[in-house]
Amino acid sequence: MVPVARRNLLAEKGRLAMSVFGVAFAVLLVLIVLSLYRGWSGVGKIITRLPGDVWVTQTGTNNLFRSSSFLPADRAGDLQAIPGVQLATPVYSREMGYERDGAAYNVLFMAFDAPPAATALLPQATRDRYFPEPGQIDIDSVFADKAGLHAGDTMDILGQTLRVAHVTKGGSAVLAQSAFINGADARTIYGTADMVNFYLITTQPGADAAAVQRQLTGIIPNSEVHASEAFSRALSRDVSEGFLPVVSVLVGIGIVVGGAVVALTTYTATIEKARDFGVLKALGASSAYLYRIVITQSVIVGVLGSLLGVAASAVSTAVIARRIPEFITDLRATDVAIIFVAALAMAIAASYVPVRRINSIDPAMVFRA
Amino acid sequence: MNATRPVLTVESVTKVFGTARTQVRAVDGVSFAVGSGEIVLIMGPSGSGKTTLLTILGGLLRPTSGRVVIDGLDLTAMRPAELPRVRREHVGFVFQSFNLLDSLSAQENVEVALNVAGVGGAAARSRARDLLITAGLEGRLDFRARDLSGGEKQRVSIARALANRPQLLLADEPTANLDSRNGHEVMQLLHDLAKREGHTVVVVSHDTRLQDIADRVLWLEDGRLRDHASGAAQERGLTV
Repeated sequence: MVPVARRNLLAEKGRLAMSVFGVAFAVLLVLIVLSLYRGWSGVGKIITRLPGDVWVTQTGTNNLFRSSSFLPADRAGDLQAIPGVQLATPVYSREMGYERDGAAYNVLFMAFDAPPAATALLPQATRDRYFPEPGQIDIDSVFADKAGLHAGDTMDILGQTLRVAHVTKGGSAVLAQSAFINGADARTIYGTADMVNFYLITTQPGADAAAVQRQLTGIIPNSEVHASEAFSRALSRDVSEGFLPVVSVLVGIGIVVGGAVVALTTYTATIEKARDFGVLKALGASSAYLYRIVITQSVIVGVLGSLLGVAASAVSTAVIARRIPEFITDLRATDVAIIFVAALAMAIAASYVPVRRINSIDPAMVFRA
Repeated sequence: MNATRPVLTVESVTKVFGTARTQVRAVDGVSFAVGSGEIVLIMGPSGSGKTTLLTILGGLLRPTSGRVVIDGLDLTAMRPAELPRVRREHVGFVFQSFNLLDSLSAQENVEVALNVAGVGGAAARSRARDLLITAGLEGRLDFRARDLSGGEKQRVSIARALANRPQLLLADEPTANLDSRNGHEVMQLLHDLAKREGHTVVVVSHDTRLQDIADRVLWLEDGRLRDHASGAAQERGLTV
């Protein structure tokens, strides 16, 4: 078959290029926004990665970052005594500003104040990351990149000098990044010897977590018990709910812009080639044959634009992740596939107006000189 | 009328445009028949209804009244949706302004007519190539239509019209946009190919040179067929 659609598009290479770039930018916009949304929606994982699966908090605490919680510091033993509890760790947690070279950073400083003997059962990587020695601090890589900190550097925190022992990934929650200090240092920095913020419970392998949660409830007056998953979901929900309306609007704009570009391209190509379509009609071309040409034109623009858009998105997310580390992006294959299919559907839908135009072409026009 | 079986029968065809005071009878009660392999030239002054008649014969315009039958198929009794099939299987068109698809090569312009009729691939390429070689365009197969001369364009147009081996070839002023030499060559090509492959041809034209290839000449004036000799004489300002 003669590739009439391709020839029509290539007859105006400049317009074809502009159309492809137009669709590519629309796809880029949608994928970047979606990848940011996916990345930000996953920030709750920062909580499930911590060394425990159940939290005991002051009543009314529903968010690890945005609520204050104060509990007596001497109840770890009571919690530890509950069947199924492997470790009950007092937790100091406070989001604070940290200044370095004139720049300020939001950092969630946390300390898991378990005695070394109690943490012996935990994996070495967990101990390295979350249980630094006195005078040491383990920081998140996003914070380290922003602040220009490296392992071995020192940080002054409210008069206490700490040395960076480890720089680890996965501790960024968009607006703040986590850092882990030793329990003794936390007590000095926060000046709260008789209070802790939370207790983090590590259940024994195979223990019924729900049953453990029930038994933990009420051990400490004015406290409540949350699964890590619940805190994780709450944090993800906070971020995504604030972000979702913006995402929806931008995705909608992207789809409309992309659809308009494809529709305009195919419509212009159809108008310009109206006489050619008239000739084909006069030669006896069926409506299906003519529609196929128009739809193929749209699909070519849609596919080329989408491929370019996907490639640009992959490059852009990599660059964003490197240049703006707190912009956590997660470009998923399923999202790419969905947007690709949506772009194709959009391209086909955009053929509707040109197809109607073809229907109105009178083949008798071919006899007019 | 030729004694052979008629490929085209036109019976009392009338086409009226407009209504009341703006009404124009472009074609008025025209009847004739064209036999298989016959070449008929329809001449007449500008505005005589030649092109309107040709448009009706090609199934591109429905007459107000009368019948058009091509190879036993009554076009006037068919639904509009059935007419494209008649055009691609039974009719070939040659246009005054060539009407080639500029973005396609010479060969693709012929192939596309075959594609429209459901013939694709090597069969279409081979048929298109053979026709263009016969039309003397062997060195121009891959040239874009826009890069061909007027004479070459009309040769491609004739090859395209013959691609699906139609029983009826309709040509509208095929030499009007060509110089004398190209006009003569195109005229001869049309004659030779039509006679060799047994096509029936109806040509409408002002060009009196086309009488040389015609088996019969009809004279159309004010939408009506008249005696050719008197009509031609009037055209030259003589009385018969």
